[in-house]
Amino acid sequence: MLTKGFKISGPKRFEIYIDNVKVKKDEALIKVDTATICKADLRYYLGKRDERVLGLKYPMNLLHEAIGTIIKDPSGTFNNGDRVVLVPNLIFECDKSSCNLDICNRKELGENYCPKAKFASSSFNGFSREYLSYPVRNLVKIPSNIENHIAVLCELISVACAAIRRVNIREGYTIAVWGDGILGYILCSVLKVMHDVKIIAIGKHEEKLKQLEVDDIYLVNDKEIYMQNIDMAFECVGGIGSQYAIDEMIKCIKPGGDIVLTGVSEKKIEIDTRKILEKGISLKGVTRSNVDDFKKAVELFAYEDFVNNIEKLNLGEICIRNIVDFHHVFEKEVNNKKLGKYIMKFAY
Amino acid sequence: MNIAIILAGGKGTRMGSVDTPKQFIDMYGKPILVHTLETFDIHSDIDAIAIVSLKEWHEDIKIWTRKYELNKVKWIVEAGKTRQESINNGLEVIGRECEEEDIVVIHESVRPLISNRIITENIEGAMEYGAVDTVIPTADTIIRSYDDETIADVPVRKELYLGQTPQSFKYSVVVKAHENAKQNQIDDATDDCQLVLKTGQSVHLVRGEKLNFKITTMEDLLLLKSIIKIGKLEMV
Repeated sequence: MLTKGFKISGPKRFEIYIDNVKVKKDEALIKVDTATICKADLRYYLGKRDERVLGLKYPMNLLHEAIGTIIKDPSGTFNNGDRVVLVPNLIFECDKSSCNLDICNRKELGENYCPKAKFASSSFNGFSREYLSYPVRNLVKIPSNIENHIAVLCELISVACAAIRRVNIREGYTIAVWGDGILGYILCSVLKVMHDVKIIAIGKHEEKLKQLEVDDIYLVNDKEIYMQNIDMAFECVGGIGSQYAIDEMIKCIKPGGDIVLTGVSEKKIEIDTRKILEKGISLKGVTRSNVDDFKKAVELFAYEDFVNNIEKLNLGEICIRNIVDFHHVFEKEVNNKKLGKYIMKFAY
Repeated sequence: MNIAIILAGGKGTRMGSVDTPKQFIDMYGKPILVHTLETFDIHSDIDAIAIVSLKEWHEDIKIWTRKYELNKVKWIVEAGKTRQESINNGLEVIGRECEEEDIVVIHESVRPLISNRIITENIEGAMEYGAVDTVIPTADTIIRSYDDETIADVPVRKELYLGQTPQSFKYSVVVKAHENAKQNQIDDATDDCQLVLKTGQSVHLVRGEKLNFKITTMEDLLLLKSIIKIGKLEMV
C-alpha cells in the first residue's frame, strides 16, 4: 500500500516520501499514531554530526520514540487495533548459535550491544511514516488503561531500565544521578519504583531538580555531595558537560563504586584515570535498550505513582497534519528548555 | 456507519499503448484502484466500501479484493451511463443498509494518494455540517474564456479553489439531492456538491492536498510513478 513519510534530507530540511509498503514475513502493518523527538533526532535535524556521517545518513526517516496501532498482523501475534510500542533496536538474520561474542545471553548486556544491531532513525529508517511494516518481535503491547501520551515515553523508560540492568543494585544503597534532563528524571522515577534505595540528584538547574521525586537534590559543585556516601552513580548529562559531571562523580563516589554512563559526549572528553585506579571504580557504558527493557517499561505502568510522574513530562500534544507542522514541532523542541517533551499526534 | 463509495466506472481511455481504464492500470504490481481502496480499507473510521464499476470488471475486482484482503468491500455496483447515474446506483445499493445519519464518502478511484487526514476530516465535516467538499486553493490565476481565443475575465484568485474528492454527505442529504435532480431532469452532473447546493443545503470545505491529484493522462501516470519511491533498500 502507498504511505506517506517525512525524511530529513539536509539540516532543517524535510521532504515528503511516498513509499509502497509490503508486509514482510514475521512483520505486522502498523499505523504510527504518536511520537516524540529525541536529542539524537535533533542532532540530525540541526546537522550537528560529522559531515561525512550526515552524508551517509540523509535522507532518512527520523524518530525512534513512537507507538502505533496494529492494522494487520499475518503472524497472528497481535489483534487488529492493538496498540503497540515500537522497539527501535533491530536484529536481522542473526544466528545466535554461531555468535562468539556472547552478548545476547548476558543479562547485563543483551542484543542492544550487538555490533550487527540496527537502530531505527540512525542506521535504519525511523518512524516518521504514516504506515510501516515492522518485525513482530519488536512490538510490545500497551495496556488498555495507558494513554498514548504516556506510552510514547516507553523508549526513554526502557533506556533507564537498560541502564539499571548494567549494575547490581542492593537494598539501602545511596544512588546518585547526575543530570536534570528528561533521562535523569525518568531514571530517578524508575529507581524509585524498582528499588528500595536512597536517591539523590545532582544538576545545574534548581527549578528542574525540584521537579524530581528524590530524597535529596544538589547543585553541581556543592561540597555536601562528598558527604553522601554514594555507592553507585548514573551519568545522564551527555555532551561536553559530561566531562565535568564524570569528574565530579569520580571524586564523590565511594571506593569500589560503579559509575554508569548514559550520555553521548560526541567529542572526546578527559577523564581522571588516576582517581579511578586509586578508588577501584568501575565505569560501565549503556547504549539504547532491547525488547525486554521495553517489556519491563510497560510493566512499570502498573504503578500509579510512576505513571503520574511520567505524565508530568507532557509539554502538550501537537497534531501533525502536514510537513509544515512537522517542521514546527522540531523547531519547538530545539528551543525547549523545559523538563519534558512535546507529544506529536500523527494525522496526515 | 461511514461508507465509502469508490467510483471506478470510467471506460478505457487510451493511455499509452494499452486500452485499459485508468483505474485498472498496474502501478508497481497492483491496479491503481487497489492502491486507493487500501487507504480506505485500513482507515479506522471507514466501516464498509462500495465500488461502482462497469460490469465487465466485476470479476476482476472480486479477485483483487480477495487477493489484497480488502475486507471492508461489501458491494460491487454496476456503473451507470453518467457519473450521476453511477453514484445513484451506489446510493441505492447501500441504501438497503443505511440510515439517514450515516456518512457517505464519495471518492474517485484515480486519486490513489488520498491521505488519512482527508478521509478523517471528510467524515468529521459531514457529521457536523451534512455536506463537505475537498478542495485546494488555486496557486495559478484562473482565466475565463468563452471562445477559447480571448479572455472574458479574470476571477479573483483568492475566491477560487480546485475541487478534488472525496465529497462527503449524510446519507439523507445526498439522497435528497439526487431525488431533486431527477425531478428537475438533471442527469449529467459532474459533481454531487452541485446537486446538494440546489437543495439549499450548504457545503463546507475540507482542505485537500496537491498530492491527491487525479490520474487522467499519461503525464499524471508518470508523475505518480516518479512520486512513489520504490525498491529502495530500507538500510540507510
